[in-house]
Amino acid sequence: MLLEQHKADIDAIRSRYAERRSAVLPLLYIAQDVYGHLSDAAIREVAEILDLPPTDIFEVAGFYTLFYTREVGKWVIQVCDDVPCCYLGAEELITALKDTLGVKEDETTSDGMFTIQRVKCLAACHRAPVVQANLDYFYDVTADKVDALLHALRERAARGDTLSVSGHRAEDYEIAADGSAQMIERRLGPMPASPAVGAPVDHETSAGS
Amino acid sequence: MALAEHIVMRELDVPDIANFDVYRKHGGYETYRTVLKEKAPSDIVQVVRDAGLRGRGGAGFPTGVKWSFLPKDVYPRYLVCNCDESEPGTFKDHQIIDLNPHQLIEGMAISAYAIESHTAYIFARGEFATAVRTLEYAIAQAYAAGILGKNILGTGYHLDMYVHRGAGAYICGEETALLEALEGRIGQPRLKPPFPAVSGLYGKPTIINNVETLANVPLIVERGADWYRSFGTTRSPGTKVFSLSGHVNRPGNYELPFGVPMRELIYSPEYGCGMRDDRPVKIIVPGGASSPWLLAKHLDVTLDYESMTAAGSMLGAGSMIVLNDTVSAPHAAYKMDEFFKHESCGKCTPCREGTHWLVRVLHRMTEEGHARPEDIPTLHSIYNQMAGNCFCLLGESAVTPIKSALSLFPQEFEDLVPQRNGRPMIALDAKR
Repeated sequence: MLLEQHKADIDAIRSRYAERRSAVLPLLYIAQDVYGHLSDAAIREVAEILDLPPTDIFEVAGFYTLFYTREVGKWVIQVCDDVPCCYLGAEELITALKDTLGVKEDETTSDGMFTIQRVKCLAACHRAPVVQANLDYFYDVTADKVDALLHALRERAARGDTLSVSGHRAEDYEIAADGSAQMIERRLGPMPASPAVGAPVDHETSAGS
Repeated sequence: MALAEHIVMRELDVPDIANFDVYRKHGGYETYRTVLKEKAPSDIVQVVRDAGLRGRGGAGFPTGVKWSFLPKDVYPRYLVCNCDESEPGTFKDHQIIDLNPHQLIEGMAISAYAIESHTAYIFARGEFATAVRTLEYAIAQAYAAGILGKNILGTGYHLDMYVHRGAGAYICGEETALLEALEGRIGQPRLKPPFPAVSGLYGKPTIINNVETLANVPLIVERGADWYRSFGTTRSPGTKVFSLSGHVNRPGNYELPFGVPMRELIYSPEYGCGMRDDRPVKIIVPGGASSPWLLAKHLDVTLDYESMTAAGSMLGAGSMIVLNDTVSAPHAAYKMDEFFKHESCGKCTPCREGTHWLVRVLHRMTEEGHARPEDIPTLHSIYNQMAGNCFCLLGESAVTPIKSALSLFPQEFEDLVPQRNGRPMIALDAKR
């Protein structure tokens, strides 16, 4: 089923590597998004597509923390509890999340909406405490912003946004003073229309305008 | 004093430099064009060598020297950009990709040409899902403009560039574990030698450089080694992006020439703006969780590879965590070793078992409040059994926090042991 549904993606991934095994991680991400988590059947399917022993794929799925071999919520909320986050409000944040949702670490709420986890450094220590939800970054999330965070996530789920626990649609957010989650825009500009083969860039007329 | 012009964080000089058109307008990819049309690969290796560029991932190994380790006449060769930034306190590569991605891509393209490679991978940690999307879009822009792909800029040179996402494992920052993950296996390090330059990805010669290292390349090649050496010190030339975090008023990334005192980074109104609530500095972790701790008395040590080593620590990736006097040293050691325990790949016994027992003892002492008199010699014994015996640097790094804490703050460990009538009291907890 994966192969039929995502043939173009899978073919593109395979073409990037000299050896087919290199496609294991990208394909596991696709399988995880399609099935919500990596069930035994999903892992076997990846093994079959790549013609590799299933044991090898089970080993990989079990090793990496972003592969979920058990069912998770629509949103996987991951809170950094490392130094320095832990000294700047992460512990209070985790307590607030647990109290509000009535679950403990690595548990999912009964409505299947949220799974919460403690994770290690997320490489944004200057904006501690840092949280990821399906790998969307949320910066400066102190305990008083828990309600705003959960509200924003519930709204997006209710809007029917196709959520990707693997982060294929991930964006960066800040929680504004009014409690709304504001996306931090990527500012890469438009895709160039045609190849500028050999032609020097005209500094006067090109872009920026 | 702030830099008049930045080499890596050029978004501070050119607003919106992440935008492809803005990058082009300010000379972006022109160095790459000149290189392809006028320079031989060996010219590029030479200028990077002469500039004295040192690897920014933590080890500080000279980049040009690393490139010259490639065996002659063995192809294909691969270039891999290490973007597995995961060490507590490190967040510079993340920002380079967010705010100046095309400079990284140009640096990779020039470096790939220099080492005669036609395939380059960016290995990004799995949590960098947004950065991966940024990179994939920026790479697509470069392809669309004919900067990547076949017959680049009409020169006949071809280069493909791909992003490979990891899936959550700090160990993949270790270059051979990274290659295992890129080959679709679990991230456990390989025995060295052979080093990746000789036998790397798919057994082929492979150069692995950090994001910041590669982002330095375009300006070095454009302006030359002498210009680059006008920044920094003789043995640590150029500038460095320092990630400052912890109990400072203004945490963030700051690009400084090598050789600036730590005090300036922490207290200058241009950078850290001093300590929160004016509390005193207690612990400085100058180069990420694996660097030995320094104290307030070291504030005048300068930020370059040699001075940091002379002061008993290391510059690492320039990731400085500053903690104030509200933090307990045993607890900080517990948190940092908990990180290494979590990230231990399980391949070798000293690291897998050592980090487990360090954390178990430290947890009992700090979180449970059941310290026993024998815990302190036990901690010394555990880290001494790890030091020098681990397969890779992760296990060796786990020794650092506990060793630093025990040697700098021994009394804080003693104070955790409950006393009665001046003698240590043995706790009768259920977990014995």
